[in-house]
Amino acid sequence: MSSDYEFSDDDGDYYDDEEMLDGTQEDDMDMDAFGEDFKVVPKGKHKAYEVEYDSLSQAAVEKLMKQDVDHICGIFGVDVSTANLLLRYIKWNKERLIEKYMDNPTTMLVAAGVIVPEASSQPAPAPIRTHSSTSSGFHIPKSLKPKVEEPFVCPICFDDDTSIQTLALDCEHTFCFGCWTAYVNSKIRDEGEHSIRCMAEGCALVAPDPFIRSILIPEPGAPKTWDRFQELLVRQFVACNNDLKFCPYPSCTNTVSCPSASSKASLATVVPTVSCGALREHMFCFGCPIESDHRPVVCGVARMWLKKCRDDSETANWIKSNTKECTNCQSTIEKNGGCNHMTCKKCKHEFCWVCMGPWSEHGTAWYSCNRFDEKTGVDARDAQSKSRASLERYLHYYNRWANHEQSAKLSLDLYAKTEKKMEDMQITSALTWIEVQFMKKAVEEVDKCRMTLKWTYAMAYYLAKGNQKDLFEDNQRDLEKAVEDLSELLESPIEAENIPTLRQQVTNKTVYVQKRNEIVLEDTANGFVEGRWKWNITVEGFDDPESD
Amino acid sequence: MDARLRRVNKEIADCKNDKTSNIRIELIDESPFHLKGSFPGPDGTPYEGGHFEVDIVIPESYPFQPVKMKFITKVYHPNISSASGAICLDILKDAWSPVLTLKSTLISLQSLLCSPEPNDPQDAEVAKHYSTSKSSFEDTAIYWTQIYAGGPGPKEKKGKGSSRSDVRDEVAIAGLEKAHVDQFEALGFQRSKVIDVLRRLNYRGANVAQITDDRVVEELLK
Ligand SMILES: [Zn+2]
Ligand SMILES: [Zn+2]
Ligand SMILES: [Zn+2]
Ligand SMILES: [Zn+2]
Ligand SMILES: [Zn+2]
Ligand SMILES: [Zn+2]
Repeated sequence: MSSDYEFSDDDGDYYDDEEMLDGTQEDDMDMDAFGEDFKVVPKGKHKAYEVEYDSLSQAAVEKLMKQDVDHICGIFGVDVSTANLLLRYIKWNKERLIEKYMDNPTTMLVAAGVIVPEASSQPAPAPIRTHSSTSSGFHIPKSLKPKVEEPFVCPICFDDDTSIQTLALDCEHTFCFGCWTAYVNSKIRDEGEHSIRCMAEGCALVAPDPFIRSILIPEPGAPKTWDRFQELLVRQFVACNNDLKFCPYPSCTNTVSCPSASSKASLATVVPTVSCGALREHMFCFGCPIESDHRPVVCGVARMWLKKCRDDSETANWIKSNTKECTNCQSTIEKNGGCNHMTCKKCKHEFCWVCMGPWSEHGTAWYSCNRFDEKTGVDARDAQSKSRASLERYLHYYNRWANHEQSAKLSLDLYAKTEKKMEDMQITSALTWIEVQFMKKAVEEVDKCRMTLKWTYAMAYYLAKGNQKDLFEDNQRDLEKAVEDLSELLESPIEAENIPTLRQQVTNKTVYVQKRNEIVLEDTANGFVEGRWKWNITVEGFDDPESD
Repeated sequence: MDARLRRVNKEIADCKNDKTSNIRIELIDESPFHLKGSFPGPDGTPYEGGHFEVDIVIPESYPFQPVKMKFITKVYHPNISSASGAICLDILKDAWSPVLTLKSTLISLQSLLCSPEPNDPQDAEVAKHYSTSKSSFEDTAIYWTQIYAGGPGPKEKKGKGSSRSDVRDEVAIAGLEKAHVDQFEALGFQRSKVIDVLRRLNYRGANVAQITDDRVVEELLK
């Protein structure tokens, strides 16, 4: 059964050898070069917050499909079209197909629409069929008898032109070429359907690929429909396989393979952020429908949080507003960058955009803007103040979450501004284009960290009180503080004489921010693997919260 | 000529010329793609003697995509929405075939009236009624046929030899609940008026929660 494989044995051996050689060499190098003292992540090994995955092009997935098809062809002795129809029908579950086919091949072939059922090989006449080779009462095999007994009228468009070209599947339900074309196009384009049944009423025969190809290829613009058909087939295959997920970005046809996140249970320990490989932005979660990077928080909690935000959006709406009043002089202030350090243009009052508290309290000494003071909740006496406390608690986290989301959106502006600054710097100083890249790198890092920070608030909202939560929030605070510092640095005005200092500061800060982000992601990911995180609510795949 | 237009025109003409069938297809306005179909309720069913009208919209890719149909006439049937007239029938969805026509589809609707499919309901309340008490369901269906489809009503049916339920419960026939009618009758309104209003408001099943008492009283006072 192996003779049908695509690669010749020679090719396979050749690649295997090379890969093996490579792998061994690298392993040896790692072992020799770094002793136990060095905490270096070995080459090829992923960080705790990264998951191993492969991105596959459409052609690569088609290759996987072909392997299954060839396998089935080899076992059953059927042609490629038949194997395809059987596999699509059984949702690419090869084991099940083999079992059922061995049990009763005819039943399977009929169910998959490959052959007409034996008992009712006489197709039921459709209500308005004006032409039928079986209703005349006598049977003459197709090959012996040219169809001349009565002029053909297409039962769909009623065209009776004698020169009309006709087509039929094995069931011999005959229709004109034009109707077939319109039907196949409508099925593929309007319905996104890859299984295209015969047009006769109640006929379950499915058009095999060569039939569809013969219809689509001479059509102008048909390569598009044929391509769409191929994509639909790949999508079905991917949807049937837990190890695979199709890239959710519009008009992208790449697939990601991530076996380590294919089970529900695995999603309690990993956050499978993957990228399809087509474009840098095509980042999504393999484990849930969120189409972005929601690290460090696991899928179940991230989804719960998003749902809560949707449900409570009315109450929290005011926060999303992009303008606020100065706490000192009440004049309206608009936020136009990512930085939370606001200075009122009118009275020069400095305050924090998130908590509206004076900025002086946020300075280097203590930065507690990330931590909700749970005591307010404990103090609540009656039901009303309890519910207010719970709303306030939610708003505390939501506020910070929404702020980072908003700031990340504003980072597009920041990019543009930074680009302008980089140009200016090349003019006012002797720096080259390469040398001013530190600005761009810093903006990118801020952007990335805001994404992490955003989700840390969703996580903190659900974390059970205790030491672990305190440690989590300490890390969160350190990152928050580092990001704000860098963000502020990026918005500071540039003068020719301070460029070297600025460059040094920004570069240093960027490295530091990177490190803080790494710590948050790494520690949270390790916590999931070690089962360290406890929730204040029931989360799928985790122990129920301890009642206090 | 556009293939869809040619086919629809031929279908309309064929239907007109067919004197043996009792299916009718008419234009609503100038457009041949928005039509009205009609047929008599099948004999021997609660819909007997009624005249049922169906709204027909022919989509761009007809006949390769199914025609869109819904009842204009209110019908009491498990597979037809009692509120919107929407129809649950396989050939209007994935079992559609391009060889089916407007006429053959209307015939299928006619036969749907003969053979309800309560396991695939469009109207859960009606389906529940059908499964729990077939005879009470039929009384309501006859009543609706009389009120909305110009049917002969229960009297003629009785003439056909049915000795069943001489004393008909008006409330059950209207598809209402006794408790609801009693509730508003207790406010001092005439029973027949209450039944009429609740029936018009479709005061049944999940709808009850949607309709406030004030709304009912408002209608009763009209
Ligand atoms: Zn045709
Ligand atoms: Zn057929
Ligand atoms: Zn992609
Ligand atoms: Zn996820
Ligand atoms: Zn001010
Ligand atoms: Zn603050």
